[in-house]
Amino acid sequence: MRTAKPKIARDMLSISPSTNVALNVLMVICAILTLAPFYVIIIASVTNEKTLIADGYRLWPKEFSLAAYSYLFREGSIIITAYKNTIISTVAGTILSVILVMLYAYPLSRNNFRFSTFFTFFAFFTMLFGGGLVSYYMVMRQILQIQNTIWALFLPSAFSPFWVFVLRTYIKTNVPDELIEAARIDGASEWTTLLRVVLPLSVPGLATVALFSAIGIWNNFFNALLLIDNVELYNLQYTIYSTLNNIRFLLENADKMQGLVSLADLPSQTFRMAMAVVTVGPIILAYPFFQRYFVRGLTIGAIKG
Amino acid sequence: MSETMTVSTQKGTSPRRRWTLDAIYCNLSYLTMVLPGAIWLFIFAYLPMPGIILAFKNYRLQRPPEDFWTQNKFIYSLIKSEWVGWDNFKYLILPVNLNNTLEFVRNTLLYNLLFMVAGLVCAIALAVIIYELTNRFWAKLYHSIFFLPFFISWVVVAYVVYALANQSGIINTALASLNMPMLEIYKAKILWPFIFLIANIWKYTGNGSILYLAIITGIDRQLYEAAAIDGASKWQQFFNITLPQLVPTIVLLQILAVGRIFVSDFDMFYTLPANSAFIREVTTTIDVYVFNMLRSTSPLGYPAAVALVQSVIGFVLILVANYIVRKVRPDLALF
Repeated sequence: MRTAKPKIARDMLSISPSTNVALNVLMVICAILTLAPFYVIIIASVTNEKTLIADGYRLWPKEFSLAAYSYLFREGSIIITAYKNTIISTVAGTILSVILVMLYAYPLSRNNFRFSTFFTFFAFFTMLFGGGLVSYYMVMRQILQIQNTIWALFLPSAFSPFWVFVLRTYIKTNVPDELIEAARIDGASEWTTLLRVVLPLSVPGLATVALFSAIGIWNNFFNALLLIDNVELYNLQYTIYSTLNNIRFLLENADKMQGLVSLADLPSQTFRMAMAVVTVGPIILAYPFFQRYFVRGLTIGAIKG
Repeated sequence: MSETMTVSTQKGTSPRRRWTLDAIYCNLSYLTMVLPGAIWLFIFAYLPMPGIILAFKNYRLQRPPEDFWTQNKFIYSLIKSEWVGWDNFKYLILPVNLNNTLEFVRNTLLYNLLFMVAGLVCAIALAVIIYELTNRFWAKLYHSIFFLPFFISWVVVAYVVYALANQSGIINTALASLNMPMLEIYKAKILWPFIFLIANIWKYTGNGSILYLAIITGIDRQLYEAAAIDGASKWQQFFNITLPQLVPTIVLLQILAVGRIFVSDFDMFYTLPANSAFIREVTTTIDVYVFNMLRSTSPLGYPAAVALVQSVIGFVLILVANYIVRKVRPDLALF
């Protein structure tokens, strides 16, 4: 945390060694439980398919197999398409949201922007009231007609009033007014000031916006559910959702549909778990490097100026 | 976190805020900066707002005549559909539907209350424990681990639930080896409140504790030293020093949560039960109901009516919540 205090008299205030041990044990148990779900799907994904069907899910499989992954990344597989769509929309959406949020936040942080009250309210009101899902759905589909385009995967999440206010606070507290005024006196235009003075100093704040936005779009399932009907445009989350849903439905109604579907035709269990693993994989791999930005993003407001 | 949302109206910085040509010209570069964001807001947030009148209409898709000012079918149909007053709302409380309506309203409210209480207790407990641990390296590692689920989508969580609890899942394999009957979670209503609760705690506790941890870290150590010298136990220190410092934030966050009590976490309630019909009674919340209605063949007016009630109640609740915060802690008020 940014307000780390020097460790004065930590000894007197510290919890007793036995309590410390007890709490550590508790934390370790909780940490294992927290990580268990990841372990379960990873292990299931590398289990041999026949073993999985015969013995069910095990904590440690009798036979390992990477067949699911090699099948997954075979040419023309739905996962490759979904990956492509997810990466394109995440990159485009993140870039767009950083630009839009920065451009909206900077003027609001300036005292000499005459319409700042209006635009603050214009953004803030949308956090309080909305037209509701039905009318949103109709507007997206009937007026904007962005359904079944790649835009539908990221445009609706490309801007956020919440992050505008976070970034505005960040600029107010981290970019000294004197600096901006100095730039103005030296003859810099508003745009030059923004790009040359404010932007470099706002990078940590922008990094937070970028990361949250990237995670948000990567994990977005709702946009695809609402606006995408074309398999070619499914993103990762929606692909794995529809796979799981179809299978559960077929299994549940297997007795009613004797002969119509054979369970052997369904994507295998290991295959499905491998799909879940490759969906979260990039997040888990990137997490250790970006974790401090996430934490900062959530405490950024605690230093209100 | 909520403090960041504080919208301070900067009074007195500019005496005239009217849209005169002069004012626009002076602020032209600022205005061009906010323009892209403002356009986004207009399209994705403001454009759907007039659509709330769907709730009072019997919406029928019609083809606009050649000479009509817009050839957009939706706009034309929205304007031309007949007004039916409160009929769409009455449909929801017809004797046939009343039970159903009460069910999804009840689910939304009770689940949100449950998550509020459980989330609060877990987040504060975690923050205090993390802070008290003597080894900072381990404390940080634990916290990183607990924060991780926040970044995992609900769809993947649905996979985990499935992997744990399907017919050959870990739980049923274990039960079978103990000769116990199989647990069919997609048919057992009683289990779902627990599943949602556990999933919610798993996903949000690490995130929820961050703000509390930041506040606890900022508390003056001398307070604790004085208390320790006076012989106060750790529990007494917690209740008399830590908790009072957390109270403003707790109150604020809970009031805001009350403001959002009619809004449910759609992704969770929609993906985890995987559309199983057997457990619909305990897994359908307002948002899920609206979505299902929207995707069904029923008239658009019904889900629109539910969505309108949800929007309006949410709006009023946030205003009330903010009013209360304003009375208690004006500096923490949203607006």
